[in-house]
Amino acid sequence: MVSGTRLPIVLLKPGASVNLASFPATQGHRVAESAVNIERVTESVEALKAEFDAHRYICSDQIATAVYLAYHLRKPVLIEGPPGVGKTELGKTAATIFGLSLIRLQCYEGLDEAKAIYEWKYGKQLLYTQVLKETLEEVLQGARGFAESVSRLHEFGDIFFSEAFLEPRPLLKALREEEGCVLLIDEVDKSDHEFESLLLELLSDFQVSIPEIGTVKARREPPMVFLTSNNTREISDALKRRCIHLYIPFPDTDLEQRIIHARVPEIPPRLRRQLVTFIQELRDLDLKKVPAISETIDWARTLLLLHTENLDPQLVRDTLNVILKFQEDIDNVDVEVPVLTNKAVKS
Amino acid sequence: MDGTLTSFIAALRNAEVRVSTAETLDALSAVELVGYDDRELLKNTLSLMLPKTVDEKETFADTFDRFFAFEDVDGALDAGDAGGDGQGNGDAGTGAGGGEGAPGAGAGNRKSKNAFLAAATKGEGEEELGHGEMASPRSSLGQLLMLDSRVELTVRMVEAAKAVNLEQIQVFTQKGLYTRRIMDEMGLPGLQREINELRMRGGLPERRLSQELSKRRERLREQVRDYVERQFLLHADATGRRLREELLRKVKLSNVEHRNFRLIQEIVFKMAKKLVALYSRRKKVFRRGHLDLPRTLRGNMGYDGNIFDLKWKSVKVDRPKVFAICDVSGSVANYARFMLMFLYSLEEVMPRVRSFAFSSDLAEVTELFERNGIEDAIAKTLRDYGGGSTDYGQAFEDFRHKCLDDVDNRTTIIILGDARNNYGDPRTEILKEMHDRAKRVLWLNPEPRATWNAGDAEMRRYIAYVHQAEECNSLLHLERIVGNLLRTVQ
Repeated sequence: MVSGTRLPIVLLKPGASVNLASFPATQGHRVAESAVNIERVTESVEALKAEFDAHRYICSDQIATAVYLAYHLRKPVLIEGPPGVGKTELGKTAATIFGLSLIRLQCYEGLDEAKAIYEWKYGKQLLYTQVLKETLEEVLQGARGFAESVSRLHEFGDIFFSEAFLEPRPLLKALREEEGCVLLIDEVDKSDHEFESLLLELLSDFQVSIPEIGTVKARREPPMVFLTSNNTREISDALKRRCIHLYIPFPDTDLEQRIIHARVPEIPPRLRRQLVTFIQELRDLDLKKVPAISETIDWARTLLLLHTENLDPQLVRDTLNVILKFQEDIDNVDVEVPVLTNKAVKS
Repeated sequence: MDGTLTSFIAALRNAEVRVSTAETLDALSAVELVGYDDRELLKNTLSLMLPKTVDEKETFADTFDRFFAFEDVDGALDAGDAGGDGQGNGDAGTGAGGGEGAPGAGAGNRKSKNAFLAAATKGEGEEELGHGEMASPRSSLGQLLMLDSRVELTVRMVEAAKAVNLEQIQVFTQKGLYTRRIMDEMGLPGLQREINELRMRGGLPERRLSQELSKRRERLREQVRDYVERQFLLHADATGRRLREELLRKVKLSNVEHRNFRLIQEIVFKMAKKLVALYSRRKKVFRRGHLDLPRTLRGNMGYDGNIFDLKWKSVKVDRPKVFAICDVSGSVANYARFMLMFLYSLEEVMPRVRSFAFSSDLAEVTELFERNGIEDAIAKTLRDYGGGSTDYGQAFEDFRHKCLDDVDNRTTIIILGDARNNYGDPRTEILKEMHDRAKRVLWLNPEPRATWNAGDAEMRRYIAYVHQAEECNSLLHLERIVGNLLRTVQ
């Protein structure tokens, strides 16, 4: 499954600092090689879909169309949907397919520009001022009067607020990637309103403004941006307006079976059908947290591990905690297990 | 092509999907990319670019199907769709006359159409003239009808519809009118005359033609009616509803008929929701004592890097408080329900609202509102506190006793009532006290201004101690006042 064009995926937590420049120069060579491939992949929605399939990400037409449009129109995609339907995974897989590095920004309450865009290296600045104190005297030697000293200092003026003292955070890094990259802004609904407004400039013009330096524009290729949201709050209209809006619902039985097939290929078809039917039935019940695709996959792996061939009520009861995450839900479903299992087995 | 898209977007907007100009442009460039050939792809594309919530996406799917369902037969689209057109047509023919529905574009179209017409002819049992020579029609519509070109007929129909401004249709009673107008525009009078003349002249070929033409005319009428129906759904369905809502907004709340209660409730909720969306900005409070290092260092650069002016991470939290006092006594019984509905919505809109209800004794209903749904909350409040005779003096006294201490200079007090005090002691001194302590005191009176001082109403005295007194007896008033209120407290 690993193709030759695959590039390293860089996962960055905000605050972590990885020097991207240290990646080997072979990257450029690889990109050139994969350029043909990318052209072929992005030629049509079907080709893109097939490529996603090949990377074990089974997607609907809608999803493939979204990525297709995002690639050609260079517009950010806002992905919404219940947790666990593969929103983040879509961004990651797209990065792999396009052979771009992935820069990820995890949002949380209180995230601000210092953690998302840039920060000054204050420690370094302080240290340098202390060290340079002596040099300062030299510089100022012979200066007559206050005015002249100040004007001499001005010549050195902005050194402390130059690139050397700039600590780029994910958003700035994404803009400075030479070859372009996939920028994944995860769970944007968790961030504050202010941060959303901060994103607007980046999303529409692919640039950010740093007061001390000026405006930083995207290098040759603007990044492909994916934003994910779990709908814990409404995203502002201004942000939505700038994005392609993709809603990923829970998959239907057919699609989910294909996903399980791609992810857990060892599982026998009959069991696969049974467990997917069971999960689909479960989603219709009134639950605190309905099982998502990731839970289905986990369950499939669990059943595989237990050498299951057919679902039976006792087994389902024993493994219910894999798919349901609240005791309340487990208690509620417990009664229904025989009926649901029966339905699933007959399917 | 672009015209098609813009009128589709107009239809979307009519169905209450909000589409901005920027999004329209984006959609245009997206469509340029994917083209109109693949219907499914087009639908996917537009549904990614235009609707931005799950609800809107559902509305979009409906509107798309409805809108482009017609465009299919319209023939305004290119070859790919024309193929689909022929097929659909063929199916209809199969059902009616047993003709074979060939899926090819042009041929299938014509063949099935003939089959259909033949079936229709037999069904009507007119005089049997047999097949044979037929005269050729002279009127333009007649010629068009005999041409058997569905596409051209449709194009003419759409043109006629445009000429009579079909998109301005508003209520369903206008459907017949517009059908008639479109037919006239297409040249019905001329056709009518020709049919009559042909029948009079009596020759067999002429009579055959006359019969054929009237059949086709009926079919055309049906087609036009269908078209009007679809356009009505597209353009007017929501407009009609909006019209009704508009009307309800202006109508006095006491005059609203019971069957409209639900709609009113929806409007109030919609209003509240709109206001929530506008004003509910989460304000983050950082813990006190969180040092803001960057700002500190930056701020102290001026002191040679020696840090003595500390900056803290703190966000000013603006917490307006609202106290709402609602009269639910007998004299305002008609309004009380709506006032409470408003109060309930207010609690959802504003961060900190405390609600009170009174006839004579005042009680706090904040918790009751929090725990119950709107229906229950209102019913319970009216049951427990409503219906008695009014005593503003007592209510103010209770208010002072209960929570005047909580009123500070950031508090807004809203009083909902008619100030009819049954000639009791108005206790204006308490209202004055409230006025002095609070940021604003607002009085919303359901009666028209002219009767504010008539009879036992004490508005004259109270008005001296409120910052603002407004007449409030329709949703329009309510909306305006709430908007102003939010602007001042935020």
